[in-house]
Amino acid sequence: MSDSTPGVAATTTAGRRDLEWHRVHPVTPFVRGWAAVVALLFLASQQVLDDVANAVRAADSIRSLWWVVLLGAVLVLAVIFGYAALAWRMTAYAVDDETAHLRKGILFRQQRHARLDRLQAVDVRQPLLARLFGLAELRLEVAGGSDSGVAIGFLKEADAQRLRADLLARAAGVKAGHPAAATGTPAATAGPDERVDAAPGEPAEASPGEATVAPDGPDVPAAVPEAPERLVYEVPPTRLLLSLLRMPGVWFGVLSLVAVGVAVAVTREVSILFSALPAILGVGGYIFQRFAGEFGFRAALSPDGIRLRHGLLETRAQTIPPGRVQAVSITQSPLWRGPDWWRVRVNVAGYGGVENLQQGEQQHVLLPVGPREEALTALWLVLPDLEVDDPDATLALLDEALTGDARTDRWFVTSPRRARLLDPWSWRRNGYAVTGRALLARGGRFVRRLEVVPHERTQSLGLTQGPWQRRRGLASFALHSTPGPISPMVYHLDEAEAARLLGEQSARARRARAHAGPERWMEGSR
Amino acid sequence: MTSIPADADPSTTRQTGPFDPADVVWQRVSPRLVPARLITAAATLAVPVVAGVVLAVLVSPWFWLLAGVPAALLVWALLLVPRQVRAIGYAERDDDLLIRKGIMFRTLVVVPYGRMQYVDVEAGPLDRKLGIAKVQLHTASANTDADIPGLVPDEAERLRDRLTARGEARLAGL
Repeated sequence: MSDSTPGVAATTTAGRRDLEWHRVHPVTPFVRGWAAVVALLFLASQQVLDDVANAVRAADSIRSLWWVVLLGAVLVLAVIFGYAALAWRMTAYAVDDETAHLRKGILFRQQRHARLDRLQAVDVRQPLLARLFGLAELRLEVAGGSDSGVAIGFLKEADAQRLRADLLARAAGVKAGHPAAATGTPAATAGPDERVDAAPGEPAEASPGEATVAPDGPDVPAAVPEAPERLVYEVPPTRLLLSLLRMPGVWFGVLSLVAVGVAVAVTREVSILFSALPAILGVGGYIFQRFAGEFGFRAALSPDGIRLRHGLLETRAQTIPPGRVQAVSITQSPLWRGPDWWRVRVNVAGYGGVENLQQGEQQHVLLPVGPREEALTALWLVLPDLEVDDPDATLALLDEALTGDARTDRWFVTSPRRARLLDPWSWRRNGYAVTGRALLARGGRFVRRLEVVPHERTQSLGLTQGPWQRRRGLASFALHSTPGPISPMVYHLDEAEAARLLGEQSARARRARAHAGPERWMEGSR
Repeated sequence: MTSIPADADPSTTRQTGPFDPADVVWQRVSPRLVPARLITAAATLAVPVVAGVVLAVLVSPWFWLLAGVPAALLVWALLLVPRQVRAIGYAERDDDLLIRKGIMFRTLVVVPYGRMQYVDVEAGPLDRKLGIAKVQLHTASANTDADIPGLVPDEAERLRDRLTARGEARLAGL
């Protein structure tokens, strides 16, 4: 919504009065801190067992020690339980038409408000343990740098789904069916036992401005049905496995394993195996992570945007509303050429950079591996119409973007021949093409890549030129996108061409921004 | 205002080509950035020079090498920094801000006002002494490397206010 006040959390004090706070599921602290709890219990039991052994030995002399030990164990458990209960009690969330609120923390209180019109993505995450309990965590991503999201969790699975549908509907600009703003949110159906009726034992929170509204009468589930979705593609596990086997890193790993085996056989030194172990574990861990993270990948389309589901142990259901994808990249590593497989990734503002590799990489995947048609379908999910001058030529343009080079190009503007010395391998691939909706940046000969940036998502533009480039009259053009795996770049263009592109692209981006759709994506249609 | 239009200076009119879009009048930064950068360079390079000289006199003439390399770097900096500072330019256009930098490795960044998330004004102790400040623009992209060093505080404030005002007028979503 371009006419709203920018950058200011639109929470008025009047709006806060009728906020209705909800609690998360009581098991949450244990699901979150299970590792710590297990470790503590383990340590405690060790202590207790030791003490028990000692105590049995000394039982005759000091019978009272039993009670001390038991008391200690009970005390530790009580402290853990008390902390967990307190942590749970202090965590609450609320949703109104403008904002999602979350408050948490015992000593250091934190209140977080996420503006729904700035919502970038909603993820429902289920770690393994949470799946066993039937719980899920809801993550609202807003574009505020790393760790700016709001994680509401854990909730019962059905509640999480309902809350997601509600949040997306509100973010889309579909007002909940009740005139009394937040009294009938779907989350209110979570059950009376999870409702925060007041905030006792916490004077700071008991201010009248934040007092919660008691439910008046029976709960009426808000009429916000989950937006219908249509399955677009899914990745069978066999293809995923085969694609992983076709990664150069895997072959490198296998080869080094063979080398280690030979070395062990020849020298009869088993210690070599141990020294190679970390590397093997590293490669194996990466492959397993890719497999587990991208297992059962399904992409669907709904009015709320793109829905992605994936995960073997920890599952994740992502919803990326329309217009939230900042850039798309389609890449192909050399061994994927035979089956013509491609990998599609996206930049989404809330997902942050790739510094958080394990999670970050998974979140940014739009298609882990798929044939060309599926890769183009994935691109279509983001940009349904590229607005090529001649619509019939769209496929030909995309083919050129994926595999073409300067010898066959019809649309792409590529590096001039004098760039050959600076980039002997891929100078024919370096290039760009412009359509009505997006800029296509192409590059890479061994690892082919195509980056697509919608004009209205351009953040800023850059031009760089090193001394060698200047001598040959070349310059590289960069499009700056939000943090993520994609940083679009066109290398070694003719310098006059690059300058022209810079000027034209900033004008195009400006025009596209002026006509960009509303932040609340359903508002236009109402 | 201390920033002079670029066409008044021969060193910038010489630069043509992709880094000088037509109808752009570059604003230059304060020449006081030169001492600021040189003092910083000298402070870091002086330690090995002094150590090298002392050791060369006391221990062995081979230590002149230790003194010579940083000294050469210092001379290089003396020659280079004034040109580098002259090469920094910025221009406010109707819808975007242009920042140009570098002699050997040139960069040009175009930041639309509507894309600016916030603007920083920074001045360290040395900068304050010399009366300069740095204005840094932040967009939603971490790759946007848009800072203008060596601005006179008045100009820095004016620029900040102007950028903020223009950003608000043109702000779009992400």
